[in-house]
Amino acid sequence: MNPYKIFDESVSFEEKAFQIFEFQKKFNPIYQSFCKALGIANPESVKEIPLLPIQAFKEKEIITAKKKLSTNSYQLFLSSGTSGMQRSQHFVADSNLYKQSIFDGMWEFYDLHEFVIWAYTPGYNSNPNSSLVWMLNALINRDDSKFSKFLELDNSLLQKEIDEIRTSGKKLMLFGAAFGLMDLAEKSNVEIPEDSIIMETGGMKTFKREIAKSELHEKLATGFGIAKEHIHSEYGMTELLSQAYSRGSEWFDCPSWMKVSIRDPKNPMQEVKTGEEGLIGVIDLANFYSCSFILTGDKGVMNVENQFQVLGRWNPKNLRGCNFLIDQD
Amino acid sequence: MININNYIEKVAQATRLWLQPDNQLLKVAIDRTVEEGLFSLEDIKFQIRTLKQKVDSGQVEEWAQRAGISESNNSIGRKVLCLHAGNLPLVGFQDALGTILSGADYFGKLSKKDPYLLASFLKKIEEFDLQNRVKYSTELSAYKELKADKVLFAGSEESVEPVKEKLFTLNAITEQSEFVIRTAKFSIAYLDNEDPVTLRDMIEAIFRYGGKGCRSVAVIVSPFSLSKVKCHFTDYVEEFWLRNPQLKKPAENLAYQFAFNKAIERDQAWLDDFLVQETDEFPDQEFMLNWVQGDHEKLKELRHHFGSSVQSVYRTGKNIDGIKTEFLSQAQTPDLWWEPDGVSVLETVIKQTHIPSK
Repeated sequence: MNPYKIFDESVSFEEKAFQIFEFQKKFNPIYQSFCKALGIANPESVKEIPLLPIQAFKEKEIITAKKKLSTNSYQLFLSSGTSGMQRSQHFVADSNLYKQSIFDGMWEFYDLHEFVIWAYTPGYNSNPNSSLVWMLNALINRDDSKFSKFLELDNSLLQKEIDEIRTSGKKLMLFGAAFGLMDLAEKSNVEIPEDSIIMETGGMKTFKREIAKSELHEKLATGFGIAKEHIHSEYGMTELLSQAYSRGSEWFDCPSWMKVSIRDPKNPMQEVKTGEEGLIGVIDLANFYSCSFILTGDKGVMNVENQFQVLGRWNPKNLRGCNFLIDQD
Repeated sequence: MININNYIEKVAQATRLWLQPDNQLLKVAIDRTVEEGLFSLEDIKFQIRTLKQKVDSGQVEEWAQRAGISESNNSIGRKVLCLHAGNLPLVGFQDALGTILSGADYFGKLSKKDPYLLASFLKKIEEFDLQNRVKYSTELSAYKELKADKVLFAGSEESVEPVKEKLFTLNAITEQSEFVIRTAKFSIAYLDNEDPVTLRDMIEAIFRYGGKGCRSVAVIVSPFSLSKVKCHFTDYVEEFWLRNPQLKKPAENLAYQFAFNKAIERDQAWLDDFLVQETDEFPDQEFMLNWVQGDHEKLKELRHHFGSSVQSVYRTGKNIDGIKTEFLSQAQTPDLWWEPDGVSVLETVIKQTHIPSK
């Protein structure tokens, strides 16, 4: 199958997913072994395709390829973390596929022609292995207005630059992690246009601080002086090449080649009922050369419109030992 | 004015009588518990036997003595609410006995997963007409307007919030109520030999009660690799299970974990209802044992890394420098005065501190 067919909306998601499943089951030894151990050879529906626990990206090279990748033939993304910590590795054999997923994914929700992209994150040169920074770099380079850029960390926003964007007729889309954006809002004494979008990329729980999403969005709206409907969120990770977006609410939408399901932690082969919490499972067809079928460690819930909310990390640490559970004991 | 020695003796006597083989209340409680599939008869008998041995050897009295209970050092007049978990038979016994022994008024929320066994003990205590109040129920609503001075329960900082909310709604607690939360979830053992006695003790420490207690071993650190001891180890497991069939079965996520381990080529032993895997990750699933090849330094590193989730570290021989340990043989047969989370139950109940609950 041509990997770029994943963007072809004339082919159903199910058909594409099954083709990729067969391809990855055949040419990804880790995923092959996983399916075999589960006894899954021919799933009858997309729901029955097993989702590989995301920790696999920390343990092994998750690569689907007919022959071994040669050095320098791939882009390597690493998850964030300090030295000594085990980090996820995502070997991306076709970075153009990633690029198209980024652009087409954003096009499903935004008119990219309208936006200047500012990224309040470390720059590409200092973080070449960050999939988020790579994505932002691609978006910045795409814009020919010359206004898109990585912002200097620890500096405030400049009114002059904001006004230049406004004058050009474009809108501002400001990317950043939760606390970085909050700090930026606090130190910047500027007026940003009310049609700007603040795009937070997560990071609500760090070593030092923690904040709930709703509270974060309120603070960002107040801090930047724009309506809460203009505080958007991007759900992505090193192990995925596609992103989901929430636009002014806590509910995320996926691009057409990505599907999220909520799985029962006691039986990840099963989806929970709509409205019930569970583990977020992702089918990301853009992961054509790694693994498209992933069980994350995030807690989530779905609504009847197939949108999902991210509720933090699933914390299984309380399953063992004595636990007084108010609804069971 | 209460004669504290008489009081302690009455409590001890009640406990001894409760554990007598001809105590019909206990027998009926055991039968009902088994009939309803709550716990296996073998696990219940093990627990009862263990408690009987401790009580008959005078441990109730000794516990009171160790805690320094006296006319001037007790909890008389104070209301203690115990929220009992139900993961293994009579898991709440120590809290209940400790609270009553301290002289406090005991209010027990019995677990719906273990509603009969502890109730049979409390019924026996009631027969002795002690001057403190003893009340128990499987319903939290029974403690409306209680305004307890202390609340004892096992859980986590995350799980305590919904509990506190519910208790505030019921007026079962006030802002001055002190919460004593036990957070330890599992224990670690250091295995440095394959003697039959050691291995049998280890199996008991791992598999008794389906591995569900915080004193149960969820992590083994050993100079031996899993592959070296796997076959030998599983022989002893099968021997244990013949005598003590595992009542509760794991969910499908155990098979999922097995498949994942196979995919990433992690060494493991699949025992149908239990999984042993070679990893130093946090042991976050039931019916699983993590095996870590390592020495004393690795043991200490893990102990430190897992923090307050670790109840005990067991050894089989000499003390291990730099780390507090207990004998492996006592894993599932601790003395009555053993300290959950390193804290004495009796002393906790007696201690008067004001830590606001909100």
